[in-house]
Amino acid sequence: MSATVAPEAILKELASLWTQEGKQGDAGVLRACSMTLLVLADFEEDPAGLAETMAALMPEHPARSILVRVREDGARAMSERVYQQCWKPFGQRRQICCEQIELTASDGALGDLPSVILPLAVPDLPVILWCRSSRLQRHAEFGRIAELATKVVVDSALAENTSEALQWISEASGRGALVADLAWTRLTRWRETLARVFENRETLARLPEVDLIHVSYGPSFDTAAWYLAAWACDALEHVGQKVTPEISRQETSLRLELSGGSFHVALSRDEERLIAEVNGESNCTNLPHPTDYMLLREELGVVRRDEVFARTLESAAQLALSSK
Amino acid sequence: MLNENPFQDPLRFERQVPECVIVIFGANGDLTKRKLLPALYRLAFDRRLSAGFAIVGISRTPLTDDAFREKMRASVEEFSEDTKLDPDVWAAFARGLFYVAGDIGDKDLYARLGAKLGQIEGERHTGGNVLFYLSTQPSQYAQIARGLGGAGLGKGNGWRRLVVEKPFGHDLASARKLSDELHEVFDEGDVYRIDHYLGKETVQNILAFRFGNGIFEPLWNRRYVNHVQITGAESIGVEGRGAYYQEAGALDDMIQNHLLQVMATIAMEPSASFQAVSVRDERSKLLRSIRPMTRDEVKLNAVPGQYGPARIGGNDVPGFRQEEGVDPKSQTDTYAAVTFFVDNWRWAGVPFYVRTGKRLPKRVTEIAIQFNSAPLHLFNQDSGDTGVNLLILRIQPEEGISLKFLSKRPGTGMTLRPVSMDFNYGSSFGERSPSAYETLLLDALIGDPTLYTRQDMVEASWRVVEPIQNTWNETPSHFPNYAAGTWGPEAADQMLARRGHIWRKP
Repeated sequence: MSATVAPEAILKELASLWTQEGKQGDAGVLRACSMTLLVLADFEEDPAGLAETMAALMPEHPARSILVRVREDGARAMSERVYQQCWKPFGQRRQICCEQIELTASDGALGDLPSVILPLAVPDLPVILWCRSSRLQRHAEFGRIAELATKVVVDSALAENTSEALQWISEASGRGALVADLAWTRLTRWRETLARVFENRETLARLPEVDLIHVSYGPSFDTAAWYLAAWACDALEHVGQKVTPEISRQETSLRLELSGGSFHVALSRDEERLIAEVNGESNCTNLPHPTDYMLLREELGVVRRDEVFARTLESAAQLALSSK
Repeated sequence: MLNENPFQDPLRFERQVPECVIVIFGANGDLTKRKLLPALYRLAFDRRLSAGFAIVGISRTPLTDDAFREKMRASVEEFSEDTKLDPDVWAAFARGLFYVAGDIGDKDLYARLGAKLGQIEGERHTGGNVLFYLSTQPSQYAQIARGLGGAGLGKGNGWRRLVVEKPFGHDLASARKLSDELHEVFDEGDVYRIDHYLGKETVQNILAFRFGNGIFEPLWNRRYVNHVQITGAESIGVEGRGAYYQEAGALDDMIQNHLLQVMATIAMEPSASFQAVSVRDERSKLLRSIRPMTRDEVKLNAVPGQYGPARIGGNDVPGFRQEEGVDPKSQTDTYAAVTFFVDNWRWAGVPFYVRTGKRLPKRVTEIAIQFNSAPLHLFNQDSGDTGVNLLILRIQPEEGISLKFLSKRPGTGMTLRPVSMDFNYGSSFGERSPSAYETLLLDALIGDPTLYTRQDMVEASWRVVEPIQNTWNETPSHFPNYAAGTWGPEAADQMLARRGHIWRKP
């Protein structure tokens, strides 16, 4: 592996790929791009699995994707590979292609990365940075790479110190950066299910009765628990109910309960199902364990400030601090 | 009492249907089988329906709930174009399917329907919310509304809405009469007149294109636009619907509703917000600005057509008058081309050419906006085509947008040739687009009438179509005047030629 990569050579290689592609098919090729997706991953991660996830995202979020695989190595080293991801939608004559660039870099070369990424990013379109490694997120050069991005996607559930990870996200968001946390994204279906419970007018009318929010969580669900509790508290505060949440540990998974008087609502997961209980009556819906593809697909669709998340994040970070 | 659900997060959550019942009159009909049930099942598949959602089918044929479920399952399997039937999703969906047999003229039907709705409300907690969908002959709309009103079903604990399919009358007077009859039971705000064209992704995309971008709107006026062509072409004939079609004709069947709505979307002023009332106000205002024609103007600006027999691709194709159930001397227009003018400051003097027809060379719906050419021609232009700047918004079959402009031909010398820059909606985003019925049903169930036609729009459309209708009825035409598989009668070409324009061949 050499120590340098020439972005202009990569761009030339991409251009020749397009020319070749155009010459081959008689129906032509359609180039689609709505963003640059920059993925930072540890070298040990399965590149085939990652490529599959990125390819699955392309039909809805066509992008120039740049996968950076980082080796734990102090020596400066970097290499590149360029290829295309093409598919032909059902019933269409033309195939659609997206550009993919794979860079391999050592820890020691991370400082050189911004100067490579900057010219490779598609002009005038958002750059989304998805950092899949908590180790890289803590790296001294991570901040400079993140500065290139319109939005940074991290996963606090992967962090060794989840409370610290939440503080980092909260501070970044406080500075005005667009940050997303996949630990929050995993809760969308939970939140949606709870919201649906209160779409019923009779149930909604009983919301002011709620005076207890209880979240219990198992290992690796601590950030999810803080988010869920903070979100429920904020929503109740919105209707004039000030409630301090109770958060406790349990054996597995996650459970949310809202109660007061004779009113009780609970959400919990059972394998691949989400169970919503309202005053003893329960309803199950299918809730597959979210894949990276599903989570990213949602986050790539939100390239703007997410007020609900920003508000919840601030409260969740406080809950995390107080739980120390 | 709380009105707002504080847990909602519109940025992240999909729009979902609240607890409710949809009552379909004409549950054994083609529309229910081909469009409504597949669309509702797809909404269930996408988890857009609430757990208590229910459907009550109404028709004359005696059926049990289970037999109705089985029939609907077969329809979903046959007509869902891109959704496979998932046994678990279907099982949950089918539990909410019910059937009431009866004649719409029979008062007892409505009493039994009321009892069924009460039972469903108790069991499935639907909160008294009911949407009535009239998928029947238009002549039965008023009778059904009266039946519902008589049984006290027009009002209830929750909301009550009524969806009606076109045609909304056959002229201005009948449209008003129908509206008055529906209003005896339902307020205008609860009447949803469905026009499936408006549910198409690209028609909605027109609004995004015009008002989401800053670069097109400054050009969207008489100063830069030379003329507009709106085409709604079908390659098929009347396909066994000859008897029905004979009563309607192309002008009433397509232009009065679909194509004038599309024209309104293209030409309307920007609305102050994307609220239903604002968007519909602007659409309505545009329709009211279309200049109605005098009898003499109709003769110059509207052309009826009827296809005659032809041989297409080695097959003999019958003419309209040879179709089953059609009068051999029929004066029905299977083709209509009209030049409309909009009397407002934005569009004064810009012709809007609207055409539709059966048995045209291909199935295509598109809007072509022809911009004025450059004031001076500095370069050699290959084609001699002066109308080079053309923006095409394709609605079907391949939804997308194309922009035609001049580019230098590679090589020495300054020779230009037109090139087309294409954006293909379906393939740039590989994701599936919801069908028009999915979009529109979801909107009606949620209570968003933005894409539905309001009574004042219906009346405004009839006001411009009726003089054409009357003139054509008074003057018999020499039909057939175009051969199947061609782009319509010569008179339609002459209509454009008088202003120095020609029809595009999409």
